[in-house]
Amino acid sequence: MTNARRYALIALWWLALAACAFVLQQRLVISGDLREFMPPPTNAEQKLLLDAIGEGPASRLLLLAIGDAPPAQVARLSDSLARALRTDAHFERVLNGGGDLAALDPALLPYRYVLSPTLDEHAFDAATLRDELQQRVQDLGSPAAEMLKDLLPRDPTLETLKLAQRWLPRRAPALRDGVWFSPHDEALLLVQTRAGGFDPQAQAQAIAALQTAFAALPDGGSAQLSISGPGYIGVQVGAQTRREAERLSVFGSAGFIVLLLLAYRSGGVLALVALPLLSGALAGVAAIAFAFGSMHGITLAFGFTLLGVAQEYPLRVFSHRRVGTDARTSVREVWPLLRLAIVSACIAYLAFLVSGVAGLQQLAVFTISGLLVAGAATRWLLPALLSASFRDVAESTWLEKLRAIIDGVRRPRWLPWALLLLALAWLQMAPAPLWQNDLAALTPASPALLAREGELRAALGAPDVRYLLVIEAPSADGVLAAAERITPQVDKWIAAHAVDDVELPSRYLPSAATQRARQTKLPEHAALVAALDTALADTDFLPGLFTPFLDDVEAARRLPVLTPEQFAGSPFGARLQAMLLPRAGRWLGLATLSGVHDAAAIRLDAGSDAHLLDLKAASEELVAAYRTRILVALGAALVLLGLSVALAFRNWRRAWAVLAPMSLATLLAFAVLRAGGISLSLFHLVALTLAAGLGLHYALFFERPVADAAEARRTLHATLVCVGSALLVFGLLATSALPVLRAIGLTVALGVLFHFFLSIQMARPRQDS
Amino acid sequence: MLCATPPSAAPSEATALIAKLARPVPASTAYTEVRFVHLLRKPLVLQGQLDYNGPGQLGKRVEAPYRETTTIAAGAVEVTRAERPPKRFDLDRAPELKALLTGFSALLGGDAATLQQFYTMEFVENAPNWTLTLLPRAADSGSHLRALVVAGAGVEPRCFTLQQADGDSSTMLLGALSEATLPQPPTPAAVAALCARP
Repeated sequence: MTNARRYALIALWWLALAACAFVLQQRLVISGDLREFMPPPTNAEQKLLLDAIGEGPASRLLLLAIGDAPPAQVARLSDSLARALRTDAHFERVLNGGGDLAALDPALLPYRYVLSPTLDEHAFDAATLRDELQQRVQDLGSPAAEMLKDLLPRDPTLETLKLAQRWLPRRAPALRDGVWFSPHDEALLLVQTRAGGFDPQAQAQAIAALQTAFAALPDGGSAQLSISGPGYIGVQVGAQTRREAERLSVFGSAGFIVLLLLAYRSGGVLALVALPLLSGALAGVAAIAFAFGSMHGITLAFGFTLLGVAQEYPLRVFSHRRVGTDARTSVREVWPLLRLAIVSACIAYLAFLVSGVAGLQQLAVFTISGLLVAGAATRWLLPALLSASFRDVAESTWLEKLRAIIDGVRRPRWLPWALLLLALAWLQMAPAPLWQNDLAALTPASPALLAREGELRAALGAPDVRYLLVIEAPSADGVLAAAERITPQVDKWIAAHAVDDVELPSRYLPSAATQRARQTKLPEHAALVAALDTALADTDFLPGLFTPFLDDVEAARRLPVLTPEQFAGSPFGARLQAMLLPRAGRWLGLATLSGVHDAAAIRLDAGSDAHLLDLKAASEELVAAYRTRILVALGAALVLLGLSVALAFRNWRRAWAVLAPMSLATLLAFAVLRAGGISLSLFHLVALTLAAGLGLHYALFFERPVADAAEARRTLHATLVCVGSALLVFGLLATSALPVLRAIGLTVALGVLFHFFLSIQMARPRQDS
Repeated sequence: MLCATPPSAAPSEATALIAKLARPVPASTAYTEVRFVHLLRKPLVLQGQLDYNGPGQLGKRVEAPYRETTTIAAGAVEVTRAERPPKRFDLDRAPELKALLTGFSALLGGDAATLQQFYTMEFVENAPNWTLTLLPRAADSGSHLRALVVAGAGVEPRCFTLQQADGDSSTMLLGALSEATLPQPPTPAAVAALCARP
């Protein structure tokens, strides 16, 4: 093949990959929803948790502060921003302290008598009305007169204001210039997004919409908008992790290029070396897009990590080329081993397919199709594109010296057993808990971000993200009734300072039974007229002034029960809707808690339809359950791998020579991590698996009987390049300050080292045997 | 908003007068307030004490016919009545009170410049009596408040009258005038006449 034609074909391959990537990028939905990554829930608590993770009202709150400008201007910006966001579909609730007088939809005004608890304790008799009217006279003499004058004829008992008060957060921040203010002269806003709090993409969109809206305000540039909240922190941490990973992979790639140039003294390999892996990755993504439609971001990251073994395929081909033999023949010689590695890995990953966990099944589909395509590309496409002129690596003199040194290394038979004992001892002494179940601990937010969040959350009295009171009932109205039943208990917790506030759905809408009970307490028209006349006799109010009041009470007596659907149009309707969720024929009520001081004291009486959900504990349980499944799947995969290697060799001794160093190295890496005080997470497990896949290659190639010393040098060269590049890329990750990157980097780097040295020790055929 | 309208020159007599009205802080005075509210058949008459504690800080104590204490500080209003929990709200929600506070602070501080920032002034003198009418400049705070009228004699302010856009009004008779017998029935005109008494 001419060089020109070769270059054209390489370019064509790159172009085809780019085109595939472009198409796939538009087809595959990368989901940030944690539920797609988690195993299917096994009990009610977990089902609820998965709903709560996505729907939890507290996790959807963004906490905003506008500062760095004179208070009057900051207050105006708060108002303009709230107005802008209320018409934005990204948000379902915007609170800034202002506008609370219009808490009830004007069309629903007569309903105030069934929504407000006033009638539970008072009756609209002459005595109550007299007391109320006398207070109203005093109100007219007070500074509040101007606020109340328009309201009085229709609402002399001020039910509208009572409702507004009831519907405001109980520990609202101080008001200044009509909006909430922090003690540091910042206007505070509370914004609830429509998107789930742990859906980073949707949160990022909402945050972008928020920032755009603020920047578009006339004075927006003159003040500073700061955002916090779980969604914001998630987006920030995700972006930081991505930036760090990209930064390190730039260094890693640069180092890899240098390594390749040193190893092969040819620029041509650079254009080729990435092609099999990229082809495999795209094939994996395509398979997912075809089979599942969407994929969780974490699954994708795991998949790319596991597929890292495919990077070795072209390196093996490059190193094993021989002078006087064309590329195809060279490939054919190493292919049986590569094929064995690929096929046994694919068979092992089949275990993931039957795990019953969508995330693991996706991982299996991705990895298997990726490995197959990368392998096929290496076997059938790559050789055709290799340059005819190359340097046989076996000619290096330093390699021969190194080979002699390695051959001279003593290989005591007791060493593996001693290492095994050492590993077991380390595992026994490990200081930290075995597992890290808190996924958030792997991607921690900076202390500054968390401190800001805590500060704003406290200032706003915003709900806690960890706890949720969950009420379950056959109907939405049943949830409201159950919420009313636990209200006395909730009041006790608040009185005992176990919690500052619990926002029950019944705060916004009473149950149908309560509404009807209040309706029956509303006096008949004639009785109310008589009571009002008696009460008015002692005041100076104009006669006939309260006709709108009489009309509203009469209307309220005849109103049909207000349902959540009808209430939905009200300013607080969306709030209620977010708290009432239909699920599997039943209804859930989610009540948020603010300022939890003593979670242990928040106990519900036996037999109530509610329970306190600790999202952190429950999600850790879920992660633990997921990990158990991964461990079982990995165990099954290991057995399958052993069987397929043994079957391929049809020789237990040779299979043992390959599998023993691989297993011991994995155990050693695991033991060193544990001895170093590291608790393991899913990321460590995936990293150990990748290292084991690489170790399988080292052992397979070292175990291979070779015809001459030159071929042994080529094997050593290939393995050194592979080990070097893995150490380079993952060693860089291990230097990261971000726990998730460090977990993957450190584990793979350690694993690769152990696999390399143990393969040298245990896999190579002994001269004496 | 603050600097949008350049203040028009105030009558120099008004400026000179305002400078003379300055009082040391804290200042305290008895008052009788007559409120004409269109919801009521007859005006409310309240008696009590006004305490001025410096810019932005005002205490208004009602002693008869019932007891009520209003304190304004840091832009927040707190109204306390016997045996009831205090009510708090933002000063912005009570424009009437805000106008009173701004007017009071500026008058007792002898600060004509601040008054000019918020109000256009009309000054009528009928020595020793005078009337200073303050018309809000900003449209939004003018939605309820139409005018703030201060009537006095010599260097003593006697009456503070707030005229609302809906026709309601209230007049605070200050100092010695708070002891005066109110005309019966008390009408806005009769009360105004009392303030303009020589």
